[in-house]
Amino acid sequence: MGLTGLEIYKLLPKKNCKECGQPTCLAFAMQLAAGKASIEACPYVSEEAKAALGAASAPPIALVKIGVGDRALAIGDETVLFRHDKRFEHPPGLAILIPDDEGEERLRERLEAFQRLCFDRVGQIHCADMVALECRSGDPATFAAAVKAVLAATDWPLVLISENPEVQRAALEVAKERRPLIYAATRDNWEKFAALAKEFDVPLAVRGENLASLVELVNQVTGAGVSALVLDSGARRPNQVLADQTQIRRQALKRFRPFGFPTITFATDPDPATRVMEAALYIAKYAGIVVFASDDPAEVLPLVTLRLNIYTDPQKPIAVEPKVYEIGAVTPHSPVFVTTNFSLTYFCVASDVEASRVPSYILTVDTDGTSVLTAWAAGKFTPEKIAQALRESGIAEKVVHRKVIIPGGVAVLSGKLQELSGWEVLVGPRESSGIPAFLKQYWQSN
Amino acid sequence: LLQTKEPLWWEEKLSLSPPTLEDPTDDWGRLSWALQQKGISLVWPVRHLLPELPRTLRAADWQVKVELAFLDKGLCELQGVKPAGREEGAWGVAVDLGTTTVAAELVDLATGQVVATAGTYNRQAAFGDDVISRIVYATETPRGREELQQAILETVNGLIDELCREAGVGSDEVRAVVGAGNTTMIHLLLNLDPTYIRLEPYVPAANAPPPVKAAKLGLKAHPEAWVYLVPGVASYVGGDVVAGVKVTGMGEEEELTLFLDIGTNGEMVLGNREWLMACACSAGPAFEGSGITCGMRAVAGAIEEVEVSPGGGEVFYRTVDGKKPLGICGSGLISLLSSLLRAGVIDRSGRFVEGLNTPRLREGVEGKEFVLVWGESTGHGRDIYITQGDLQNLLRAKAAIFAGLRTLLSLVGLEAAALERVYIAGGFGRFIDVEDAIGIGMLPDLPRERYAYVGNTSLKGARLCLLSRRAWQETAELARRITYVELSVGNLFMEEFMAALFLPHTNADLFPSVKGA
Repeated sequence: MGLTGLEIYKLLPKKNCKECGQPTCLAFAMQLAAGKASIEACPYVSEEAKAALGAASAPPIALVKIGVGDRALAIGDETVLFRHDKRFEHPPGLAILIPDDEGEERLRERLEAFQRLCFDRVGQIHCADMVALECRSGDPATFAAAVKAVLAATDWPLVLISENPEVQRAALEVAKERRPLIYAATRDNWEKFAALAKEFDVPLAVRGENLASLVELVNQVTGAGVSALVLDSGARRPNQVLADQTQIRRQALKRFRPFGFPTITFATDPDPATRVMEAALYIAKYAGIVVFASDDPAEVLPLVTLRLNIYTDPQKPIAVEPKVYEIGAVTPHSPVFVTTNFSLTYFCVASDVEASRVPSYILTVDTDGTSVLTAWAAGKFTPEKIAQALRESGIAEKVVHRKVIIPGGVAVLSGKLQELSGWEVLVGPRESSGIPAFLKQYWQSN
Repeated sequence: LLQTKEPLWWEEKLSLSPPTLEDPTDDWGRLSWALQQKGISLVWPVRHLLPELPRTLRAADWQVKVELAFLDKGLCELQGVKPAGREEGAWGVAVDLGTTTVAAELVDLATGQVVATAGTYNRQAAFGDDVISRIVYATETPRGREELQQAILETVNGLIDELCREAGVGSDEVRAVVGAGNTTMIHLLLNLDPTYIRLEPYVPAANAPPPVKAAKLGLKAHPEAWVYLVPGVASYVGGDVVAGVKVTGMGEEEELTLFLDIGTNGEMVLGNREWLMACACSAGPAFEGSGITCGMRAVAGAIEEVEVSPGGGEVFYRTVDGKKPLGICGSGLISLLSSLLRAGVIDRSGRFVEGLNTPRLREGVEGKEFVLVWGESTGHGRDIYITQGDLQNLLRAKAAIFAGLRTLLSLVGLEAAALERVYIAGGFGRFIDVEDAIGIGMLPDLPRERYAYVGNTSLKGARLCLLSRRAWQETAELARRITYVELSVGNLFMEEFMAALFLPHTNADLFPSVKGA
């Protein structure tokens, strides 16, 4: 692992000049330790310190870029085995496998299908983002023609799959401007592949027969001067892939240099369900690229979603989704509680509402996962926001009455909320433990 | 307490050589040259001194005393020139501008002696109990800022009157005032817009506002007296905390120290002479007796210590001054929480145990509650009790403090055991029982001798600055050195907080000395 904030701090000039954008040197050191700042931001750091920091903070796994421009894929630069320890940095490329030997018509159809593999996930578009073109024809000209067709149809990065250097050369002549990944250097062809990678300045995938032979091969290829590598241990059965992926990541984090590169995996089982599960496993376990042998949207959507979830930064407040929750067998006459989306707050309210045995709605307002009073203090639980939630959450269609119960701690919001929302605002107890008694007294008598 | 004799306001004796034909330097030039020889550079003089300066110097036969107010390193303001030899006193006032209470001391600037002490409630309470309510009032009410400023000025002026009366001193003999308070209090005193203190990303108008003239501010002191405010660090770590850090000396020592203000804001500072970091864990006012059904401040009649018999049949207690009980104060609440757990009345999650056979446990309006003292024995004839909601409130308050401390420690990769010293500050600290506080998991399970109470260090720090120009400069420097950690960024604090919502903690290994943990 890298240096702690305190260790980095000891190497800094301690001027507290704020020129790095941080209020103090210690704050800057903590940002460096969290990988959220670069040492270059400090104009006064000594060369010795820079060297010491550089060596210690050099990424254990190299960052490898495939493709060019906005669509370029950056993989690697990972620092942890588990996302909750910090975060996973670069989502793996999802490469759709396309063969070159099915004729022009079929290739065009496949590319059209590929371009439809884009999905709206929480307001953002996420796609299958690589084409893995496989040379099954064995013919350089056919492959090069297919590469040309892919380049014309899409600007996503490419993986060129062929162990024949002649085929790769023909393809690279066409695709060199787009910095494709060439797959793969093996024990038999590595010298020619290393030469190709250097000549065309493209990243190179290396495939061993097992971890030991992979180490040997990586050393040979790096010895020949190629530094942008993607690793394949050669395993294809999921249990072995899992074991190898884990070893590669684990050893890389211990600074075992030959494994300090992102990996490529293949999910090509003929059975769709198995194929998707394989790919899901690789997404969760350290793959830099997952080559997937299907362009069925029903298969790709869950993978895109899983990738998004796994690579979400976990350093976020502990929150529940802001929406309407139903506790018990609710009816249009059930009471409506409003609270914040801090999970602890929500679960307290939910369990006390449950204890009251009165089926109820709980509307959680998005306060970035802060509690009622914290959100009130920070201006995140305002009459405006609650009124908006009442309007937009759909709660108005679920109940026939227009009464909303707010936490007693924010009683001061009631007047303005009533005015803004048109709902009658009942001020509930300060503590959710008072909800059962409150409901007995104020709700059932109504 | 270190007391150098270099107060922020002082008189300097000068022996000037009379002008001659060979040395026809102007009077003002002659005076400032003499001061420069002593390493004192002046800002442009107070205009009213110049008209009479020629006569003053000659009447004193060039042997004068000058009144100097310190502004910045090597930069002073000349406030008066008079003949040497006349003996007059000069006083300064140190103020702790607390959210709830304000305390002040009158200090003899020549000797460093405290000649009078006074304290009272902050009159801003009429506009809200906590800083947030007051910010909201200041922001959302027309003239709200002026009203709040007026309230604190009246409070401080009342104290200055009281101090001066007690010491037989005229308020215009107060020549310097140093105030220490949290960032919001300083904003409200100076009528700075406090709106953005509470809004993300929580930025104050100024952490280190420059000194302001008493007359301009409306403070009862010599009109030329400067009012100095101890610089703060961030929105929720203010000059009161910086003053405390200065007083304890932790910023100059090698030992890893934690400075803890157990109050509503729950500020804490961790570090040593190499580095310092601070956070505010927002413990809430529970330990100040607020937000608890029968809570009160630690004044006469407050239950300050509790012992509950196993099963909850009987309750023994001690009140402040032995008066009939009126409510429970912070130390009583900590003692109670610890005792209820030992007695088996509550479980480790702070909930009342089911099926207890005692009339003291009853069903109240807001769920279960436990009666400590029946109405017939209390000072006001009403039952004193603790509710399930109160218990959850206390649990959250203690969890916030422990979580804040764990978060600071984990950011620098240290364990609590590495703490060589823990200073507990705040009006509340005096009453706290460390053993009970550890028992409920509010403070780390360290050898007890590492704990020390330091009392109202905000006031002590203000006095220290008043009496030492060097201390003032060092305190300003200290404020710049402290790194503020925003606990709402990332989920480290939240995870620690959740883990601490248990008695004493979900990880009992952190409290090996707590019986049965």
